[in-house]
Amino acid sequence: MRLVAIDEVARTRSLKRGQGLAEARAMYPDIDVFDEDERADFALLEAIADWCDRYTPLVALDGKDGLFLDITGCTHLFGGEDAMLRDILARLFQMGFDVRGSISSTPGLSSAISRFGHGGVIAREGMASALGALPVHALRLDEKTVASLLKLGLKRVANLMSMPRAPLARRFGAQLLMRLDQALGTNEEAISPRRPVAPLSAERRLGEPIQTEEDILGMTAEIASSLKLRLENRGAGGKVFELVLFRVDGRVFRISAGASRPLRDPKRISGLFSERLNAIHDDLDAGFGFELLRLNVLQHDVFDALQADFSGEEGRETSLADFIDRVSARFGAGCLQVYQHQQSHIPERAEIFLPAIAELERQPQCSENLQFLPRADRPLRLLRSPEPVEAFAALVPDGPPQQFRWRHVMHIVTRAEGPERISPEWWIDDENAKERDYFRLESELGRLFWVFRLGRYGDDPPPTWRIHGVFA
Amino acid sequence: MAHAAAAQEKLFALREQIARLEGRSLPAMAAAKMENFAARSGGEEKLSFDIAALDDALSGGLPLDCITEIRSGSFSDAGAATGFSLSLVGLMKARKAATGPMLWIADGFTAGEMGIPYAGGIRQFGIDSRTIFHASPRRLEDALWLAEGALESKAFIATILEVHANPKSFGLAESRRLSLRAKAAGRPLFLLRHAGKEEASSASVRLLVEPAPALERPLPDGSMLGGSIGHPVFNITLEKSRNPAPLSFRLEWNLHDRQFHLARDRGKSSFHKLPAHLGASLSVSADRQDRAKALGDVVAFERAS
Repeated sequence: MRLVAIDEVARTRSLKRGQGLAEARAMYPDIDVFDEDERADFALLEAIADWCDRYTPLVALDGKDGLFLDITGCTHLFGGEDAMLRDILARLFQMGFDVRGSISSTPGLSSAISRFGHGGVIAREGMASALGALPVHALRLDEKTVASLLKLGLKRVANLMSMPRAPLARRFGAQLLMRLDQALGTNEEAISPRRPVAPLSAERRLGEPIQTEEDILGMTAEIASSLKLRLENRGAGGKVFELVLFRVDGRVFRISAGASRPLRDPKRISGLFSERLNAIHDDLDAGFGFELLRLNVLQHDVFDALQADFSGEEGRETSLADFIDRVSARFGAGCLQVYQHQQSHIPERAEIFLPAIAELERQPQCSENLQFLPRADRPLRLLRSPEPVEAFAALVPDGPPQQFRWRHVMHIVTRAEGPERISPEWWIDDENAKERDYFRLESELGRLFWVFRLGRYGDDPPPTWRIHGVFA
Repeated sequence: MAHAAAAQEKLFALREQIARLEGRSLPAMAAAKMENFAARSGGEEKLSFDIAALDDALSGGLPLDCITEIRSGSFSDAGAATGFSLSLVGLMKARKAATGPMLWIADGFTAGEMGIPYAGGIRQFGIDSRTIFHASPRRLEDALWLAEGALESKAFIATILEVHANPKSFGLAESRRLSLRAKAAGRPLFLLRHAGKEEASSASVRLLVEPAPALERPLPDGSMLGGSIGHPVFNITLEKSRNPAPLSFRLEWNLHDRQFHLARDRGKSSFHKLPAHLGASLSVSADRQDRAKALGDVVAFERAS
């Protein structure tokens, strides 16, 4: 067992990361040791990354204990690079984290300076000298390469930089030079942000944190109205929105809501979130309030502008879309569904449900091909899965039963229609799947059942009877 | 004097309010006054069945701006209750030329017990299944919220709310609330109560639906095809309406005409027997002896029956 992290006191007592636990215990018998909890560490890092979203949408993870922030074009919002770095470090320090950071032109150099240097902002011309002063560990190489470099006396990056490149590549492989070039900016290195950048987003920073739902919704409507103009410029409306709430103590909540038709109207956008907030009421802990709200448009689509008429009445179309959006925001997209006919003869496969929120746009265009609809009678209620029934005195080989028992109740058949044979779909079912012979059976009391025989008489095992639905 | 006039006015207003709550027609003067703040445009809409006795009992037809409760006695009658409520929507569509979607708010327990409404059957019932929105809320509170929202939005020509038995959380207050919403929106709410008992509620009409044996399929020459199962037939009992006496009707829903008829008793004339040829007969046994021959001569007697 080895030490993976140590606190300040341990550092002053010359304990090191990577040191064996037994050795550390031998040096200081009184140290406290905890098992590493990788998942919790990762969750913490993710939470900090979420918090860093306030500075830039491009936040990437750097190993187990670092973050990359691509702040290109963001610095002027925070008073320049120096001020921004100070602000980030100070805020994180106040939250109780010991964080080091630096700003430079490449991710490699920033990482190296933060971990092995003194931090701060590195100007473009000072890059080589700043990197040169660092130990070779700073280059993010694998342990073997670092060990062999140290063995040869190449302790600082400056030693490498002054050497001819070809022998270095031959001796240590391409990775060493690639890392060196990446740190100095001659080789481009891309960071991979955790989340895609929203095509459109707007935010509000608040001097006084807000807590109540009404305040949040009011603020959302205000942000949405500032987005409206930008959506109009694109001729688009948002389909998926995300509200990001930054709590004072650093926790970040993300709430997303979808719309069945592209939306621009601030009132309806905040209406979506009103249902969402209702649904997740217990999970959203406002604590001491939210200090920053951001509204992202994650997906947008072409907005068909409608001319308003003089009556000022909202059409049924918009009220239907509005209702679907509200229901989907509150209960999820799976709650409200529409039927879709599939080309299949198996009853349970012929009709499926699709979320209404996704289908509303597509619905008017698609016209069902009616020639595939079954001609024979179909039940009004279809059981979730066919239930076995005990059938008595069925006419062999392909007649209806004269009575059957379903859920412990005996039904005496007075009339029957059928059979309608439905063959299994061998490309989905097994090749040996049995065919079904469906009958409509009317009981003495006038109840109508849809019952089928699975298999044929004379087969082994003998056929069984199932009920699959009821008619009116 | 002024005091008396004010009291009179107040009394008048209260009487008017009571009349409105009960859904009765207001006195002429009050009605004229109502015009000012009447939200409804088309007045009272009624859905006529075109069956004189039934329409009279409902004083003109089924009111379309309130709750209509459709009750079935047990889960086994769920098919009939489902069919009757859908046929009401079908009748609305046919009669009022109403187009637009309808909302089905399903009950999870009923879905598990008696299955979900099947689009194939609904289509054959005369309703385009693409215009049906199917909501499956987890709790009854959610279902009530959905029903209220649907009525409020006026997006649906009809809303069917399915419940089973007599849940406590759907009492008089809740049904009153929904009834007011329906009244304000002028849209019907069909409350489909499976396996429920009679219960005081704000529904203006309550019907008990029971299945009844279907008539036979009609043939082009007017006779009936013996042994066939034709259009669905319902036994309807008016349990709650303006009419004091509970009335029963036997209605047949014609799927093609989308119309109700009074079902006549089945004629005795139709012959009922099994098909003459039952398809493939059993194969002759190959490796055993033939069955024993019947003794004596076979004489062609007249059939006894």
